[in-house]
Amino acid sequence: MSGTRERVSDVHDLAPEAFEREVHSFEFWFQAVEGYLHGTTYGHRPDAAATPLTDSERDRLVTVLCNYCVGETAALEGASGLVAIAPNRMTKVFLATQAVDEGRHLEVLLHRLGELGVANPEAEIEKRASASILEFRRRLLALVGSKDWEAALFAQNVILEAMEFTVFQTHAQTADPITAQVLQGIVKDERRHIGFGENELGRRLRESPHRRARIGEVKRDLDALVIETFAETVRDIGIPASERPDLGRAYLAAVSRLGLGVS
Amino acid sequence: MADPLEKDGAGVDDEQPRQRFVLDEGDFNEVPAKYRRFYRHWRGAGDQLAPNEVICPVCKIVIRSTRELRPGDRVYCMACMTRLRVTRSPSGQLEGECEY
Repeated sequence: MSGTRERVSDVHDLAPEAFEREVHSFEFWFQAVEGYLHGTTYGHRPDAAATPLTDSERDRLVTVLCNYCVGETAALEGASGLVAIAPNRMTKVFLATQAVDEGRHLEVLLHRLGELGVANPEAEIEKRASASILEFRRRLLALVGSKDWEAALFAQNVILEAMEFTVFQTHAQTADPITAQVLQGIVKDERRHIGFGENELGRRLRESPHRRARIGEVKRDLDALVIETFAETVRDIGIPASERPDLGRAYLAAVSRLGLGVS
Repeated sequence: MADPLEKDGAGVDDEQPRQRFVLDEGDFNEVPAKYRRFYRHWRGAGDQLAPNEVICPVCKIVIRSTRELRPGDRVYCMACMTRLRVTRSPSGQLEGECEY
C-alpha cells in the first residue's frame, strides 16, 4: 500500500468495466479492510470497555454467538466452495477475499466466546446450535457441492449474508461494547458480500431469464428455514416482537429487486 | 460556453447548470482512502440528502458526487460494489436504482 493518498476527480466517472475490476480486486479489499480493522485486535479496540453481564445475559449471548459461529462456518465453507465453480477469474478473486473475511469472522466470534469464559467453544457450539441454522448450512453446502452456481450464490450471498447483515446490525445496537465492535466490523465486510451476490445474480438473471425459475425454487425451499432462523436469533438477542418484521426487510428488498417476488 | 462537464446527463435536465460540490473527508472508512469522500453513513432521523447525494438501496450508504445529481446519472456504491442509475421517485426524491 502506498503512503500517499491519490486524488480521484469523481469516482462516478469511472467506466463500468473499470469499476468492476477495481472493486473485485484483492488490492481494493486490502485497502478497504485496513480502514476499519487497523488498530483492532480480534475485531475490537484493545481499550473497549468490558461491561459486566448477569449470568442470564451471558448465557443468552453465548447461545447467540454459537449460532453466529455456525452461520460463519457455513459462509466460510460456502465461499471457499464457490471459488471453484465461479464463472470467471474476477469472481474467483472476489470470493477469495470473501473467504478470508468469513474466516476472520469465525475467528473473532470464537475469540469473543473465549473472552466470555467459554473454555471449549467447539463443544459449546455443538451443544447450542439451532436445528434451523444447521439445516440451512447443510442445504447451502449441498447446492455448492452440486455446482449449481446461481442457486448456491443465492443461498450464500443473498439469503445468508442478508440475514447476517441485518441481525448483526440490529444486535450491535444493544450489545455490550466489545461484542458491538466485533459485530460492526463484520457488518462492514457483509456490505461487500451482499452487494456481490445481488449484482452477480442480477447480471446472470438479466442474461438468462430462464434461470429465475430455478432461483425461485431455491427461495421457496429455503424461505421457511430463513424465517425460523431469524425468529430464533432475534428471540435470543431479546429484540421486542414489535421490531421483528423489520429484520427481514433487507432480504425481502433484495429478492424483490431481483424480480423473485415474495412467496 | 457551457462547461462540458456540466452537460453530463444531457437530455435529462440540462437547462440549468449543475451545482458543483467540494467533498469533505468524513469518517467513512469502508473503502480505500482515495474513495472515502464519495461516501458517508446515513445519520438517521433528521438527516437529509444534499442535491449531490443518493442512498444505495442495497447497503444504505449515502453516495456522494462532486456534481449535483439528476435523473439518468450513473453512480457507484463502492461499499457494496453496486452500479446505480439515479431516478426520481413519485415523491420527487432522487433515488438510486440497481443496474445489474
